[in-house]
Amino acid sequence: MAFDCSDHGQYKVLHLTGEVDLSNSSVVKKSLLKILEEGRSVIVDFSALTYIDSSGMATLVEGLNFANSRDLNLYIAGAVGAPLQVLELTRLNQVFNMVDAVEAVQE
Amino acid sequence: MRQAIEKLGAHTIINVEELGRLSVFLFTVFKSVFSRALRMSEVLKQVAFIGARSMPIVILSGLFTGMVLALQFYDVLARFGSVDLMGSAVALSLIQELGPVMTALMIIARVGSATCAEIAIMRNEQQFDALQCMAIDPYRYVMAPRLVAAIISIPLLTAIFNVIGILGGYLVGVLIKGVSGTAYLQSMIERVVWDDVQMSIIKSFLFAIVVIWIAMGKGFFVHLEKGVSGAEAVSRVTTKAVVASAIAMLFVDYIASSFLI
Amino acid sequence: MANDSESPLIQVNGIDSFYGERHILKNVNLAIQPGEILVIMGSSGSGKSTLLKNILGLLKPATGQIEIKGLDICQASKHELTELRKSMGVAFQGGALLSSLSVGDNIKLPLRHHTNLDEKTISIMTRLKLEMMNLAGFEDLMPSELSGGMLKRAGLARAVIMDPKLLFFDEPSAGLDPVTSAELDELILKLREAMNMTIVVVTHELESAFKIADRITILFDGEIVITGTVEEIKSCQDERVVNLINRTPRDERIDAQQYLQRLTRENQ
Repeated sequence: MAFDCSDHGQYKVLHLTGEVDLSNSSVVKKSLLKILEEGRSVIVDFSALTYIDSSGMATLVEGLNFANSRDLNLYIAGAVGAPLQVLELTRLNQVFNMVDAVEAVQE
Repeated sequence: MRQAIEKLGAHTIINVEELGRLSVFLFTVFKSVFSRALRMSEVLKQVAFIGARSMPIVILSGLFTGMVLALQFYDVLARFGSVDLMGSAVALSLIQELGPVMTALMIIARVGSATCAEIAIMRNEQQFDALQCMAIDPYRYVMAPRLVAAIISIPLLTAIFNVIGILGGYLVGVLIKGVSGTAYLQSMIERVVWDDVQMSIIKSFLFAIVVIWIAMGKGFFVHLEKGVSGAEAVSRVTTKAVVASAIAMLFVDYIASSFLI
Repeated sequence: MANDSESPLIQVNGIDSFYGERHILKNVNLAIQPGEILVIMGSSGSGKSTLLKNILGLLKPATGQIEIKGLDICQASKHELTELRKSMGVAFQGGALLSSLSVGDNIKLPLRHHTNLDEKTISIMTRLKLEMMNLAGFEDLMPSELSGGMLKRAGLARAVIMDPKLLFFDEPSAGLDPVTSAELDELILKLREAMNMTIVVVTHELESAFKIADRITILFDGEIVITGTVEEIKSCQDERVVNLINRTPRDERIDAQQYLQRLTRENQ
């Protein structure tokens, strides 16, 4: 799994590549929370993500919760394949703001 | 005639097999006590169950035992004109013998049966299979805390039994039978020595191991009981565990006494 | 779906299993491909539970070997077995929850034991799984307060809490009403898709089996009669398979004399 950050206007974009699972979800959590603590809204880019397990989903849920408490936004962009099915299976697709691509979010 | 011998042989084989199985079980439980972190929360929970909640029956039985001892000794000692020795007689009987044995019997009745049944039910419901499949060692998770808790609790309960028994003896001997209170206590101070107390501790320690080991072991292997299953098997092994641990405890009592007295 | 080009995830080679004198499994061979859903079926006493226990490593076969992810589980070291088991989940028939822990603590058990995740994350993961099993809000109850169906679902939640790549189900539909059973079938299919799971189900429910299986293995008297796709099973000519599928009772020709004897003999 690899991740890097970029900017999209006022948003920070967290690009996730590969697989997020037990071995690396805590790393993702640290970065996500750090961005939110700095007061920036986040778009999590799922387009290059091939697999995410429940520890990864739990991390995102924590992020969303934190974002809501700070009046920030958290988007999930470009979810496909297995990760999309996980979101549907856990019904979290009805909880997160989902968009088709990073560009779809208004800067 | 041949049938009788065959039966005896089969019976012996079954029992030796079981003894072997239980011995390996004991060894494995001991090993797991010393391997890495023991779940202290579970140990404490068990100490509460085995120790704290056995206090009422230990106190009651200690009291009555002491009271009966006083009555009995009064009768005997009066014939020799030595009622002043009652204190030491009651104390020594309790400390050397009755304290450890009676406490162990109370624990067998209360904790031994409950523990055996609990573990047997866990076995029947495949809880041990589940633990194994989750790569959690059932010995470390379930058995070891109970053994440690028993070793902590039972010697302490025995001590409480002894003290309450001595008190019971005092109540009957001094307050009812009229033995001199000072003499009661003084004879104890003079004639009870550390070796006696040590015997009490060693015996209660050994009894703790025997009782909890047999209770857990019989429950753990309930699925190997022939001819029964389910609730009937649980009830059968529980009965067997209570009987076996009582007899084993009395046997260990004899062995320990022959070394320590 | 099943990848035949890859080597099997589980390889069972010629295993025999005994219970005392009884020969339960006879030269059983089975290969389970990664990503497939394999259903093991058979009548009671066919040995399917024993087969499952052997694969799980709860029983050691008398002969033969079993390899999971290339590891011979009968020869594996404790450490290797532990690592392997972290990626395996087992949903037992009655749930097999620990009676002294709440439902939530039961499900969290593998996470607390094997991972370093913090409590917050563990809690969310647990609740996600409970939601998935329609057990939301039950986390503080004790197992004794749950019905049979709920216990099963809680056991399943525990089995999948670490998102294992390999999931085993022992009689998932037993004791469930048809609606819940159908929902469970759907869940099994979705889990395979979303989590890349390989799933082994031991069941006697035909409908479920036909609905979810990529392949079905049928056991009779400890022997594998056929392993194949649903189509292959349906077109199998073997009398025992046909009977199983059509649910016809065994048609035994009776010897009139012997039968009469059995009915009227005096008790010795």
